Amino acid sequence: MTLQVAPPAVGTVHDVRAGTQRQSRLVVVAEQECRDLWTSGRGLILLFLFSVLLSGVTYLTSTNQALNFLEQRESVNLVLQFAVAVGVLATLVVSADGISGERERGTLETLLVTPVPRRSIIGGKLIAALSLWFATFLVSIPYVWVLARGVGILWLALALGFCVGTLVAVGLGSIGLLISAACNSNKTSIAASIFLLLILFAPTQLPAGLPQGWFFDVLLRANPVASGLAYISSILVEGHGWTQDMALLITPLLTAIIAGGALILAGPRLVRLTRGVNAG
Amino acid sequence: MRVALLIALVVGVLTWLPTAALAAAPPSLKVVAKPAHVETVLGDRFMITTEITNTGAAPSGEILAHLNVASIEGGVYVDPEDWSPNRSQQLSLQPGESRKLAWEIQAVNAGHFAAYVAVVPFGDKVAGNEPLMISPLVDVAVASKSTLTAGGALPVVVIVPLLLGLAAAGVFYRARRRGSDR
Repeated sequence: MTLQVAPPAVGTVHDVRAGTQRQSRLVVVAEQECRDLWTSGRGLILLFLFSVLLSGVTYLTSTNQALNFLEQRESVNLVLQFAVAVGVLATLVVSADGISGERERGTLETLLVTPVPRRSIIGGKLIAALSLWFATFLVSIPYVWVLARGVGILWLALALGFCVGTLVAVGLGSIGLLISAACNSNKTSIAASIFLLLILFAPTQLPAGLPQGWFFDVLLRANPVASGLAYISSILVEGHGWTQDMALLITPLLTAIIAGGALILAGPRLVRLTRGVNAG
Repeated sequence: MRVALLIALVVGVLTWLPTAALAAAPPSLKVVAKPAHVETVLGDRFMITTEITNTGAAPSGEILAHLNVASIEGGVYVDPEDWSPNRSQQLSLQPGESRKLAWEIQAVNAGHFAAYVAVVPFGDKVAGNEPLMISPLVDVAVASKSTLTAGGALPVVVIVPLLLGLAAAGVFYRARRRGSDR
């Protein structure tokens, strides 16, 4: 990433001004990262693949003649869960490339000599990764509309997908950046992130007929992805209220707070050159 | 003496019998359901009401009114829990007392169905051989509403990836051209 930032004002160390400057630098980094993601075509290709997958799932769901009224709610739930899960995966992949990718491409050194606080660099990268989540959510709207319009749960499904997905995306995006900062190689970082996501998704793929005792419940609630998706199901399919299963959102919320907090606190130490890395 | 004993026994049996028969008599309940016929569309909710009257001379004791739904045409599988999550109501009626019960139902299958309420005795004193009281059937005709069709989904399923693919190809081409110009 090549960043062009105005040099900091010398002499005036007023708190408010410094805060505004930090904020504007964060915006500059976020803009530049978003431009890199979207104008290079990388983001659009991921979105295209996402839409192909979602089209396949939606078409298979809508051509199933056995679907009745109640199962249609389940089909909305299925597509929404798929959209949230794949959107979060895309966010994780982009954030996992954030720092290790710069190291590998030899652009981190250039980035480090720009007059931008390292926290702003981390923040900007997280915002760029989250922009992919918001884009995948926008793409999933017509699919959810096709399935949900007949059962009157369109706005509920969209609001639910947006809130839960954003919460999970912030948490996993932060984890992706933390992994990326800890890895020298981009391959290692992305592989570790995808492996983490697979571990998180595994419990959600267990057959519904299996006996589900307290251990399964603990596994579900300790997992930010599975508990977020279970919260969506409880409202869309079981018809629970927003507050009834709020406990399922504790883990996604804690993940976002802990991983996001670790990123902010450890940010300056994370963005650094490491020995043995090609610096260009 | 024997004759006198026999007469006393017969009289005793005759005087005891009606009381015992009365005590064991099941409560006389009348169950009426309204409306008799419902026409609705798949997914819509409707109400039926039942009026249970104790027409006997004894209290009914604890009784349970239980709603059931059955398909009366074709081979539609009916899961009554989907139709109404609250299908049981407990009550007790004094002689001559009647109670109206409302049942909210959602039509979750298309077809021809019958909804009815069965009244059964309730509690730990139930012997198991008491007769059931059943309401007349409420005839429910549910028209299908086809909201989920391949035809309806096809435009979205085709157009969205097409537009995104074109946009990605355009951006990619522009980025490559800009790269080769330099």
